[in-house]
Amino acid sequence: MKVKRIAELALLTALALIIFVVELQIPSLTPIPGIKLGLANIITVFAVYRYRAGEAALVLLARIILGSLFSGNMTAIMYSLAGGALCLLGMLLLKRVIPLKHMWLCSVFGAVLHNVGQTAVACAVTGTVQILWYLPALMLSGCVAGAFTGLCAQLVVSRLYKGNDK
Amino acid sequence: MSKGLKITYIVFAVILAAAIAGTVIIFTAPASQTVEIISGGEVLYTLDLPRTADKTIRVEQGGSYNIIEITDGKIHVSEADCPDKTCVHMGFLRGGAPIVCLPNRLVIRYVQGGAVDAVAG
Repeated sequence: MKVKRIAELALLTALALIIFVVELQIPSLTPIPGIKLGLANIITVFAVYRYRAGEAALVLLARIILGSLFSGNMTAIMYSLAGGALCLLGMLLLKRVIPLKHMWLCSVFGAVLHNVGQTAVACAVTGTVQILWYLPALMLSGCVAGAFTGLCAQLVVSRLYKGNDK
Repeated sequence: MSKGLKITYIVFAVILAAAIAGTVIIFTAPASQTVEIISGGEVLYTLDLPRTADKTIRVEQGGSYNIIEITDGKIHVSEADCPDKTCVHMGFLRGGAPIVCLPNRLVIRYVQGGAVDAVAG
C-alpha cells in the first residue's frame, strides 16, 4: 500500500472517530435501544465508493474498535461488529448496482442491514426472540438515518471531486 | 435508470412500508397482563400484573444489577448500573415491545397476546 493511501485511510478513520465521539454526546431521541443517527456511516459509505473493499473494511474495523474503547462501552462492540460487517458487505455488493448518484439508497440498505445485525446479536445475547419486535422500528430509523448519512456522503463526494478526475 | 437500480428502489419502498406498518402495529397492540422477567435467558419471575402488589425486585447478573419496580399494575426498571441506562429510559412496559437491558442481559416482556400474537397470527 502506498504511503499516500495509508495516510488517506488514517485520515478517514480519524474523521469517522471524531464524528462517532461527537455523536455520543447527543442524547438519544427515542427510548428504544439501537436507534441513532450513525453519522460515522458517512465515512463508511464514502469509503465503500471511493476506496477498495479491503480498505473500507479496515477503516470501519479500526473505527469500531477504537470507538468502543473511547466510549468505554466494550459490551457494545459485538453489536457494532455484527451490524458493521453486515452493513459493509451489503453496501459493497449493492455498489455494483447503485451508481454514485444514488449513493443515499446504498446507505439506506447499509443502515437497515446494520440494524438487522444488531438485533440478531441482541437476540443471541439475551436468548430472547421477542427482541425481534423492535426490528420494524429499528429498520424505520435505519431508513431515515441511512438516507441522511448517504446524502451527506454524496455531498462530500460531489464537493471533493468537483472538476477532478471523476 | 438501470434495471438493477429500479429493483433496489422497489425493495427500498417495500422495506420502508413494512417497517412503518410493523412499527405501528407493534406499538399500538393491546398489552396482555402476564409478564416475564428474564435474565441471561432464564425466566426468573412470571407475574400477573393486575394481581401483583406494588413491589421492587432486584435482579443480578454477572455482578451487575437492575431494580424493577411494579406500581399500579405497571412495570418498569427504576434503577440499573449499566452504562447506557436505556432500560430505565424506556419507562413502563407497553405494547408488544419488551424492555431490554442489553449489558445486563435482562428482558421484561409480556408472555402472550399483544403484538406477538397479533403479528404471528
